[in-house]
Amino acid sequence: MIEMIIQSLPLAIFASVPLLLAVEGELVAERAGMINLGIEGMMLTAAMTAVFAAQISGSIIAGLFGGIAGALAVAAIFGFFSIRLKADQIVTGTAINLLALGLTGFVYREMQQSAIFVRSVPHVGAAAENAIAIVSWIVIPILLSLMLWMTAFGLRLRACGEYPRAVAASGPSVAMHRWAALVIEAVLVGAAGADLSLALSSGFAENMTSGRGFIALSIVIFGRWKTRGILLGTAVFGIAAALQYALQAMNQSLQFHLLLAIPYVVTLLILCGIAGKVRAPESLGRDA
Amino acid sequence: MRRLAVGIGAAALSLLLLALAGAAFGHSPRVLLEILVSGSIGSRFALEGTLLKSVPLLLTGLAVVIAFRAGVWNIGGEGQFIVGALAAYLTSRFGTTAALLAAAVAGALWASIASLLRVWRNAPEVLTTILLNFIAIHLLGYCVNGPLQEASGQYPQSDPVPQAAALPLLGGSSLHAGIVVALLVTLASWWLLYRTREGLRLRATGFNPSAAQYAGVDVNAQIARAMALSGAVAGLAGAIELLGVTHRLFERVAAGYGYAGIAVALLAQLHPIATIAAAAFFGALATGAGELQRSASISSSVATFGQAVVILVLILFGSMRAFAPGRDE
Repeated sequence: MIEMIIQSLPLAIFASVPLLLAVEGELVAERAGMINLGIEGMMLTAAMTAVFAAQISGSIIAGLFGGIAGALAVAAIFGFFSIRLKADQIVTGTAINLLALGLTGFVYREMQQSAIFVRSVPHVGAAAENAIAIVSWIVIPILLSLMLWMTAFGLRLRACGEYPRAVAASGPSVAMHRWAALVIEAVLVGAAGADLSLALSSGFAENMTSGRGFIALSIVIFGRWKTRGILLGTAVFGIAAALQYALQAMNQSLQFHLLLAIPYVVTLLILCGIAGKVRAPESLGRDA
Repeated sequence: MRRLAVGIGAAALSLLLLALAGAAFGHSPRVLLEILVSGSIGSRFALEGTLLKSVPLLLTGLAVVIAFRAGVWNIGGEGQFIVGALAAYLTSRFGTTAALLAAAVAGALWASIASLLRVWRNAPEVLTTILLNFIAIHLLGYCVNGPLQEASGQYPQSDPVPQAAALPLLGGSSLHAGIVVALLVTLASWWLLYRTREGLRLRATGFNPSAAQYAGVDVNAQIARAMALSGAVAGLAGAIELLGVTHRLFERVAAGYGYAGIAVALLAQLHPIATIAAAAFFGALATGAGELQRSASISSSVATFGQAVVILVLILFGSMRAFAPGRDE
């Protein structure tokens, strides 16, 4: 078993990059008091816009920016409803997931008839994949930790997630900080979507995120809203997913469904404080 | 009256946006809407398809109505639907009634995990119900790939339920008796919510939990009962879909009905009777969208797009603020 885990590590590290980037984005949003259930739709939209941008330009970098642009558009909708109109975040997030699922399915099918679609999708090289993995697993976590826990901006941002009235009373705008957190999330989730459709696969497919956004939400809980915790959480979920392939290769595919369920059960236990102490941001999911 | 106007407006606006989206890609909006209408209510066959799709939507919508009315977030309709279908399959050899009851109990128990964890450990049900959805999905995946896989072992699906347990068809149509069950459950929910003390306490809990507590309602117990009831209805939806339509279990048996129930409940503005109309609208949209895909090669996922637009438009009209759950600050 240990040997199998070690063998599946490389796959786990690369295959969970989109998941990790999404988790990092969601951490920032949740620390600012927003639970973005629409992260699934955000990633799915980014995956599609990244492919279109890469096909039109023939460049991976343009694809990355295309993905980020798509995620930002979704973030704008989420922010407009949940921050500006103070609509319930869960309802807004649910609507965004349905919106993205419907719209990408529709647009993708339409684009199959257009000339852009037949152009090949540029491929991400091995060196670039290594760089992406290092950035997502090491550089971004360090930067996020520094930002959230070492800067005044990070302190205010976290305060928006704990006790927004105190932030408002002391001057800074809660809405502005939540918008900022949303933009950071969108950049990371946009990159996640682009990595999914350009590096992990070469093209878009309907509903290709297949629950990664929801898994990201689970991992943020698993990681107890801490940077180290979410890295560990992503590793656990990533290894479980990678082991599935090893088990399938050994014709023991039966067990992998149960294996895949285990991280969720563990997350549930963590959420209940059974497996260690946990405290969610106090104002998570509430308007300011 | 205003709520009715807002609901119709939201539904109309979603169709309009759908037509516009089609126009943006060079489809004639008129033809698109015509196909949507003829493909959903234009013929006997289409109408039956619409009604069949409306049944699970009506029940998952009701499940959301009951939970939201109590101010509790049940995003777990999908998982409760799945365990309901699973329980119905396992008990189908004891007949239809046993299978339906088992599904309701299973759905209630599954939902109660979330409410127990909320009461006991203060774990937000928004998160626990989502996690429980995934656990249910993987449990079902395990079952149809393993212990419950069909005897021929060819596909990841179960054998069909015994003929005797399948819901009877209504007079020479493709409609099954589940429609009657769903309508009866709808009436019962309305009666419960608006004509009983239990319903009054439930709505009071959702409207203002502190006031309800002050007035002598045991809020935690009330929430637990509402959640169990909500899960029971979602579980029943799974059983009816299994016994009436699919007859087999497979991984995608829930097909998003649990999440679509949220759109149904919001369009109905959390009224049980209005849920019938909302479910019929989304059922028609889904059936019409299927026809769009077949005859005009437009992705049937536009139906999902329509659900999203309805929710967002309702938020814009501000008609949901009055019931937004979780306002217990």
